[in-house]
Amino acid sequence: MMQSSELTTKAKEYLRIAKVDLVIGYLEGTTKDRRRAGFIRSAEEADNLVLDERCEDNLAVYLVKENLLARYKKVAIFLNPAGIRTINVLASEEQIEADKIVILGFEITGGDVRILDGESVDDFSELIAQLKLKAFDSEQMADVDEIDSLDVDKRFEYWRGEFSKCIKCYACRQACPMCYCNRCIVECNQPQWICRSAHTLGNFEWNIVRAFHLAGRCVGCGNCERACPVDIPLMKINRKLGKEVLDRFDYFVGSSKDQQAVLTSFKQDDPQEFIL
Amino acid sequence: MKILRKDKLDGVFEKIRANGFDIFAPVENEGNSRYAKIERADEISFDMILPKGTLKEIFFPRSECLLRYKIAKRKVDVEEADTPNDKRVIFGVRPCDAAGVGIDDAVFSWDYRDDSWFARRNNTIVISIACVKSDDFCMCTSVGSSPDDKRASDVMLYPLADESGWSIEEITDKGREIISSVNDLIEEAASEVALAELASVPVRFEIDKVTSWLNNRENFDSKFWDEISQRCIGCGVCTYLCPTCHCFDIQDEGDVYSGVRRRNWDSCSFALFTLHTSGHNPRATQASRWRQRIMHKFNYYPEKFNLISCTGCGRCTRYCPVDMGITETLERINMFEQ
Repeated sequence: MMQSSELTTKAKEYLRIAKVDLVIGYLEGTTKDRRRAGFIRSAEEADNLVLDERCEDNLAVYLVKENLLARYKKVAIFLNPAGIRTINVLASEEQIEADKIVILGFEITGGDVRILDGESVDDFSELIAQLKLKAFDSEQMADVDEIDSLDVDKRFEYWRGEFSKCIKCYACRQACPMCYCNRCIVECNQPQWICRSAHTLGNFEWNIVRAFHLAGRCVGCGNCERACPVDIPLMKINRKLGKEVLDRFDYFVGSSKDQQAVLTSFKQDDPQEFIL
Repeated sequence: MKILRKDKLDGVFEKIRANGFDIFAPVENEGNSRYAKIERADEISFDMILPKGTLKEIFFPRSECLLRYKIAKRKVDVEEADTPNDKRVIFGVRPCDAAGVGIDDAVFSWDYRDDSWFARRNNTIVISIACVKSDDFCMCTSVGSSPDDKRASDVMLYPLADESGWSIEEITDKGREIISSVNDLIEEAASEVALAELASVPVRFEIDKVTSWLNNRENFDSKFWDEISQRCIGCGVCTYLCPTCHCFDIQDEGDVYSGVRRRNWDSCSFALFTLHTSGHNPRATQASRWRQRIMHKFNYYPEKFNLISCTGCGRCTRYCPVDMGITETLERINMFEQ
């Protein structure tokens, strides 16, 4: 606990000396198990900040909502490693200016909070390089492998069952920092690309499109899965695609802010065996 | 005093089914609890506070076909969808969910009478169970509802203290008919049987104070709306899991020769909801969308129908991905008025 209070004290200090004019952090929630995003503008308010093992949500989603960054000079934000990688992706996709962000980095391991050294996103390159080495190991992929081992019919049945629950509330999209489009493809109707209805076909279309748009962009923060009100295991899809781009292209999403998107860049040594 | 014992439920369901009804009840399905069709009584989850899905889904599905069309050279064939005629008994409904359907009757019979809503309403019998449990999110007593709100229930069951069954209160003619159809499985208790105590749900705000604050035009542009909705991410969880939210969108699915016209749920939380063709959006910010949701439920709907469009089920807070909800907003407004 000593450590986590160091970080909230730091946030307070940044506001006091006007190093930043906004802190996005965690506050206590409606119940004792819940934590919620807080937007803190003064050192006094910063006393309400909390940081503990329940602070799971990737707050970077707020950096791309309603042009938030345009209203502040500099923003400090509590981020875990997936959140830090989010900054790299958003910067490389030119959605945010990385130098406007002061990172208050932390990591939750086994119920403990560990404070991460660094402040600008580049300070965490080594940490991210280390994460890449153990990304998508067999333990993390056990549930995905289980589905992969099924026959195609069974796999289809599994996902049909899961997607049929979808009510198209788009909580997965709204909770995702990478889903920043002002107008999502499901909202385009001239022509209508995606079925709007929440029937099984429409749900397949939505969930597959969502997965494809996140391939090589998802940092695995888990916001989508936590937000889903009907418990669709979206992270199984995200991890599957994440492992695919790592294995095929040696690409770990959000490694640096200059990283080019894997699906829109070409390298001479990219695997090309699919070309007939 | 009429008593329905739990061990008679399968017998009761069998008889009801023999009369052409499907039985629906709250069931738990891998974290996705809802009112769903059941065959046996042991499929019912009596333990949950409320299912995630609301009763409105039974009458107003998240997507339904309104008509089919075919466009030929010189004519258009339109075939309207059949009026739903499935007979259903929904057993074990939470009173706040039933009340929500009662509240929505007003809007579905206002400027036009919604055929599919009322066809389903007329063919459905709602058997509610008064609540003996509540959680931190329940707030029925704050919005004029209660653990045994009788609105839109045909029968209300009161749990017995010994948990062996329920005491029956018949509310409507439909309720009396269904109970009399299973009369031989109903016990007539000679003396009063002890009932379980109903859930004690604390009152969290004074609704009159809240509605009067909302009614003050000056508060429409209050900074409060920006502050309370800062963390709203604009998803549809609160509206889609709400027992009274009833907004929908009409969509054609198909090509230029044939297709289906469907009615789908829609949500005032979405930016697209009020986006004009011109590109202008009168509700340009999430704050204005959250204000709309609160105003609709606690100002416009009461003004139009003399009903508050909230039953206090608490789902909006319970399932909000960012820990928002109606309760906190109204508690805060209540504090302004102290």
